[in-house]
Amino acid sequence: MTDHTNDAQSTVLVIGGGVGGIKAAMDLSEARKDVLLVDKAAAIGGLMTQLDRTFPTNNCDLCTISPHLSAGAREQHIELMPLTEVTALAGDAGDFTVTLTSAPRYIDLDKCTACGECHKQYPECVRFYPGLDHRAPTCMRYPQATPQAFSIDMAACKDVDALVKVCPAGAIVVDDQEKEVTRRVSSIILAVGAELFDPGKLDHFGHGRYPNVVTGLEYERIMSASGPTLGNLVRPSDGQAPKRVAWIQCAGSRGINREDVSYCSSVCCMYALKEAIVTKERFQDDIETTIFFMDMRTFGKDYEAYYQRAKEQYNIRMVRCRPHSIVPDPGGQEMRISYATDEVSGMTTENFDMVVLSTGFRPAAHTVQLAETLGIALNTHQFVQSNHFEPVVTSRPGIYVCGVSEGPKDIPETMVQASAAACMAARHTDKALHDVEENDEYPPERDVFGEAPRIGVFVCDCGQNIGGAMDVEALVQESAKYPHVVHAEMAGHGCGQEALARMRRMIEEKKLNRVVVGACSPRTHEGLFQENLRKAGLNKYLLEIANIRDQNAWVHGGARELATAKGKKLIRMAVGAVAQAGPLREHTLPMNKDVLVLGGGVAGMNSALSLGDQGYKVFLAERTGRLGGLAAVIRRNLEGDDVRVYVAQLVERVQAHDNIEVITNAIVVDHSGMPGKFQTGFQIGPRMYYRQIEHGATVLATGALAHRPNQYLLGRHKAVMTQLDLDDLIEAQPDRIKDWECMVMIQCVGSRTAENPNCSRICCQTAIKNALRLTDLNPEMRVFVLYRDMRTYGFSEDAYIEARRRGVIFVRYEAEKTPQVTADGDRVTVQFDDPILGRPMEVSADCLGLSTGLIADDETTEDLAAIFHLNRTEDGHFLEDHVKLKPLDMSVPGFFVAGTAHSPRSIAESIAQAQGVAGRIQGLLSQDVINLGAVVARVDRDKCATCLVCVRACPYNVPFINEDRYSEIDPAKCHGCGTCAAECPAKAIQLSCFEDAPIMAKLEGLLERIA
Amino acid sequence: MERFEPVIVAFCCHYCAYTAADMAGTMRLDYPANVKIVRVPCSGKVDPIHMMKALELGADGVLVAGCLEGDCHFKTGNVRAARRVAYVQQQLEEIGIEPERLAMVTMSAGMGTRFASIANEFTEQIRKLGPNPVAAVRKGQAAAEPVAQVN
Repeated sequence: MTDHTNDAQSTVLVIGGGVGGIKAAMDLSEARKDVLLVDKAAAIGGLMTQLDRTFPTNNCDLCTISPHLSAGAREQHIELMPLTEVTALAGDAGDFTVTLTSAPRYIDLDKCTACGECHKQYPECVRFYPGLDHRAPTCMRYPQATPQAFSIDMAACKDVDALVKVCPAGAIVVDDQEKEVTRRVSSIILAVGAELFDPGKLDHFGHGRYPNVVTGLEYERIMSASGPTLGNLVRPSDGQAPKRVAWIQCAGSRGINREDVSYCSSVCCMYALKEAIVTKERFQDDIETTIFFMDMRTFGKDYEAYYQRAKEQYNIRMVRCRPHSIVPDPGGQEMRISYATDEVSGMTTENFDMVVLSTGFRPAAHTVQLAETLGIALNTHQFVQSNHFEPVVTSRPGIYVCGVSEGPKDIPETMVQASAAACMAARHTDKALHDVEENDEYPPERDVFGEAPRIGVFVCDCGQNIGGAMDVEALVQESAKYPHVVHAEMAGHGCGQEALARMRRMIEEKKLNRVVVGACSPRTHEGLFQENLRKAGLNKYLLEIANIRDQNAWVHGGARELATAKGKKLIRMAVGAVAQAGPLREHTLPMNKDVLVLGGGVAGMNSALSLGDQGYKVFLAERTGRLGGLAAVIRRNLEGDDVRVYVAQLVERVQAHDNIEVITNAIVVDHSGMPGKFQTGFQIGPRMYYRQIEHGATVLATGALAHRPNQYLLGRHKAVMTQLDLDDLIEAQPDRIKDWECMVMIQCVGSRTAENPNCSRICCQTAIKNALRLTDLNPEMRVFVLYRDMRTYGFSEDAYIEARRRGVIFVRYEAEKTPQVTADGDRVTVQFDDPILGRPMEVSADCLGLSTGLIADDETTEDLAAIFHLNRTEDGHFLEDHVKLKPLDMSVPGFFVAGTAHSPRSIAESIAQAQGVAGRIQGLLSQDVINLGAVVARVDRDKCATCLVCVRACPYNVPFINEDRYSEIDPAKCHGCGTCAAECPAKAIQLSCFEDAPIMAKLEGLLERIA
Repeated sequence: MERFEPVIVAFCCHYCAYTAADMAGTMRLDYPANVKIVRVPCSGKVDPIHMMKALELGADGVLVAGCLEGDCHFKTGNVRAARRVAYVQQQLEEIGIEPERLAMVTMSAGMGTRFASIANEFTEQIRKLGPNPVAAVRKGQAAAEPVAQVN
């Protein structure tokens, strides 16, 4: 590990090494801030490493996170301290002194190779942190653990000398001691997550007593390729394949009984759906899946579509009820669930082979302790208290919070908060210290010019991901026969640290000068393997990846022979291509550090302020004539804060800020360039004068529209209004409202329909907010809320409980049978079916409030997507680069998205994204030069006939005829599309990385000798 | 009779079709293994020589897959690619090879389903056309070679 200066002004302490902590640490390190990452566990990774797959893409978790884990240890600005806790804190923001206590590991991290000998011989005293009790995997915590090393439980060890002898690396340190150090840090990020509820405390579900009752996480482990059953789904009691599996939602959450918590854990509906879908994917009609739920809370971006897919495509049975109990069936191994539904009177019982309890988050006892040590406030649920308008700020200046320790949330929301916390924490560090030259950590590049190709082929099995679909060993044997291949081997999890180290060793030992990796998509992993080649002293362009996972294993999962044959071809093609590859040099340009923020709403203004405060020049362009966006018309949030006052303060700060230039009435008309060197043209003001802005990064904060669908007499009857209208009316004319006797609200108006399939996320909270304010004004008012699923996720469940306590009546309706609304003079009559009474009801209301939610500003996002070449979702929101791990980055480098342009969300959630975007951008702009990569067109002057075809073909007008009368292409300006190379009649132009020779070699590899 | 399994080369733009193909994998959509992907930075990089070479080497079908019209990452690469495909189709017709063996398709990065359905449809289309006549000739040549040596 590199030497870290222990300088108070430059280091941020990140407590907790789950995805949130890692993300915060990585963002800070990208911005060249030093990070001290401590985790009380022996390896970082947190909860996510124990999951099998993640929704909504059903990607393998470890595949997505493991490059980040190894990067977490790799980054030269990150110092990792496992087995470490914070035991004392003194000082103030900008100069804290923190005491860290590290438990002895009894293993020298520099020597341990994670060979596993110690664990094989003395399993009782070697810790591997399985995270699960009675079904522990017999491996390390997960295959790609970081640090890649075991740890010893000395107390459990009976024969220390024998244990020491077992280690071939001599890594066991018998006299290792608990260590205490003090460090000075400038700011702190708390990312300690939470624990999962232990349902053994609920006696009616029998968890811990009956082996076939498992938690969601235990089910993940059973399904996971790195889990205790190596991914074979078996009933724990007898190892038989289950035929019927049930999920019970809200186990220990949303309850009022002993051991229950009142809040909603926000993620369990999605993970239960995911587990059921993955189960169905693997076993199709051989297995029945049933989910018992109260409200299906699929409120995230595109999550509703996932729910619909679960029902329609996968035939997952949904039963709306809270089951009474689980008891073993006297006849055998099955479990019997007793439940009552609206449709059937009396109890129903049903047998299942396995029951999965969807348990939610609980704050860990040590978090409460830690909060005391740090001197920060907790909320009533013992999660870290944050501010609604500053969602990652704790009660103590200089300490920030992200992820589940702040409240239940899923991975993308955690990532957003992590980037936001990184942005906020970086403010306390001293910039000047970071102009130090970075020392080059790579060895010099080996000159391979003139050497005959010596190709090494490494084929990943990726757990079961690749190995489960094809014969990896056959691929390796076959590739050893290909021309120029001097070495071929299985690489296991090729992206894991150990496999990468082995690849580097092989490159050296076998004197390889070209590498082929049979792995997942180069889109996600090319960078990682390229870096590994560079570390091994090879030019990074001497690599070719054969995409045998995303484009083979995942496509032909059910046809092993076919997948194996195709895998061989794909590797053959890659071998042919890499034999033709040569070393390339990358080009650089100076970085423009100004930022363009599009959209002057809450998200845009917060991004601008966060960036402006850090010294970046910001252009804040707003399409309309005023700042404030949609939030400017909102009066109160659920917590009761005055939103108008907040927005007015924001506008004032933005307008007074030295680093922010506000441009109103600005419409984007053209765009060109690359990250660090963009040019965007605007037409500004009523005169539409043209202005071009040069900038290094772009924030999309263009917001969404308040939906006003033509339904339920909206716009045609004055008693019918949206929740947004009602919000205003409550503040503006409370006297008028006081006299209302009856209010009806209808949820999901214009959302979760065929035209707009997604959930608007905010409407349930908004309806409850308004219902509470109405009953504040007139406690006698009868308020009906007609809903489909109440989605008051997280702590907003408390408000839902409060509304019910006050007598607000919640009546569910089905999508197929919407309420009927008719005008009745000044009033409206609402007819609906009451599912509990099982009969139609009719209510005469003074006012009908429609929860219409938000829809994408389709016209704006379409225009911008066309100008900037951005991706959009089907419903017109901007589509981020990676829904889990890069929720703020667009796939076009240098573009970031915040606020409702991403998806419907609350003000607090928009602010977190806005600050998160600023955190991402500080990383991008911390570099002084732009790396242009090596994909540029080159002209062979001897072949050039000066025909001007390239000059005319180039979309960017880069080629020109130089003084020597041949075409010249400036590598700094070339975008690397290759159009000129394809058009050049003399074949005088080649595009680096995609020359004709490797493309032809691929074709030959695929089509060699048909006969 | 054994079903004819054509060999199909798909030149896929990194920014759209290649990503869509990855997406199809993520969604576990099944499409024929006949389709083999060659990644290019832009469909505008696909040279008529690449298309012809693939057919000459015995591919039964060639797909050029770029971004939706107006969405090209490099402004106009897909338009140029479409023009070139039309040109090569004309050439194919002249030399007596079915122009339907070559096709230009467009999609966005998010269209995993579209990628899979195009792969299915195109494979079916080529299957109906039967083997590439060039491949048959090459096969004949390969079989004739030893005889030629004797002479």
